[in-house]
Amino acid sequence: MEHLSPIVIIGGVKFDLAAIFMIVLTSILAFVLARLSVRNLSVENPGKLQNFMEWVVEFVSNIIGMATDFKRGRVYLTLGLTLIVYIFIGNMLGLPFNIITEAHHGHATFLGMELFMDGKEEAEFAWWKSPTADAAMTMALALTVIVLSHIQGLRHNRKHYLKHYFEPWPFFFPINLIETLAKPLTLGLRLYGNIYAGEVMISVIMGMGFIGIPALLVWQGFSIFVGAIQAFVFTMLTMVYIGQASIHEEDH
Amino acid sequence: MSFNWTSFLIQIVAFGILYLLLSKFAFKPLFGIMEKRRQLVKEQIDGAEKSRADAERFLEEQKQALQQARKEAYDIIETAKTTGAKQADEIVQAARNEANRLKEEALRDIESEKNKAIASLRAQVSGLSVLIASKIIEKQIDEQTQAELVDQYLQEVGTKS
Repeated sequence: MEHLSPIVIIGGVKFDLAAIFMIVLTSILAFVLARLSVRNLSVENPGKLQNFMEWVVEFVSNIIGMATDFKRGRVYLTLGLTLIVYIFIGNMLGLPFNIITEAHHGHATFLGMELFMDGKEEAEFAWWKSPTADAAMTMALALTVIVLSHIQGLRHNRKHYLKHYFEPWPFFFPINLIETLAKPLTLGLRLYGNIYAGEVMISVIMGMGFIGIPALLVWQGFSIFVGAIQAFVFTMLTMVYIGQASIHEEDH
Repeated sequence: MSFNWTSFLIQIVAFGILYLLLSKFAFKPLFGIMEKRRQLVKEQIDGAEKSRADAERFLEEQKQALQQARKEAYDIIETAKTTGAKQADEIVQAARNEANRLKEEALRDIESEKNKAIASLRAQVSGLSVLIASKIIEKQIDEQTQAELVDQYLQEVGTKS
């Protein structure tokens, strides 16, 4: 049975409580992790968390260095760090467990608010999922960075940015336009697809009962791997797109 | 799959807020610390490099000073040697000159004494011979001898004029 999202309708607008909850939780966790790592900052004797966070910083710096020129891409370091930390924590959050409430007799409430049940009599609400296992959230992230890349392209590299739509010949414009439109779609949907598929797979394996425990262990391990890879890929592609649009290479 | 626009907007806002918070409260101090460490490492490397160069320079200076001192010592010894030799020569020369001078003086004195002695002797001899001559003449002169003497003087006068 498919799990419903706990949705309340306020003034005709649907609010996905689970999504909002997970967004806030992931953001808080990311912030707390970052704050803990800079709690006792030290030049000569960094703590374990500070070391870890500095490793992350170096890692993202390398990503930027690979995608573009690090000197000019340095301003996007914080963006890359926020992305990778947020997406990684988000990917990991959905793995360990799920919280499901059951609703009967056609209605359920949360803090006095009526949950939207799509006209069904019985439903199960999933309260715990990765924020990245929702297309709305991944597309939000993808559009944010793509829009940012276009703005930065127009601001810092206007001539080459506008010219690249008509290269190598002017009649390539439609193709270039499609490519531009495809970028945010692929960026957001890749992340969503990977994480959502992982969670669907987990719920499928859960349906197998006790026999599924070894498979679940293997799949959870693989999901950690996929989650890390997807966080890396998303950050990498963000830097590549921003670099393509806004940082003009001197040699072409 | 349902696309929930509220979640979409909330995610954008939440990400923006997270970005600002992380940037302000976490990454800014962290970057500062990392930059500081980079500076520290750079400073230490520079310091090490500088002290190495200093050490090399000092060593070179020491070597040169030692060389200089050695050269000076050698020069001093050389000068002393030449000065000593020269002084010895001078002393010997002076002594020799003095000796020559004394010898010459002595010779001159002897000569003058001798001359004086000869002169006085001569004076005495002539006086004595006059005396002796007059005594002999007083005793022995006679007519004949006187005539002979007169003749002889006359002859002499005749040949000389």
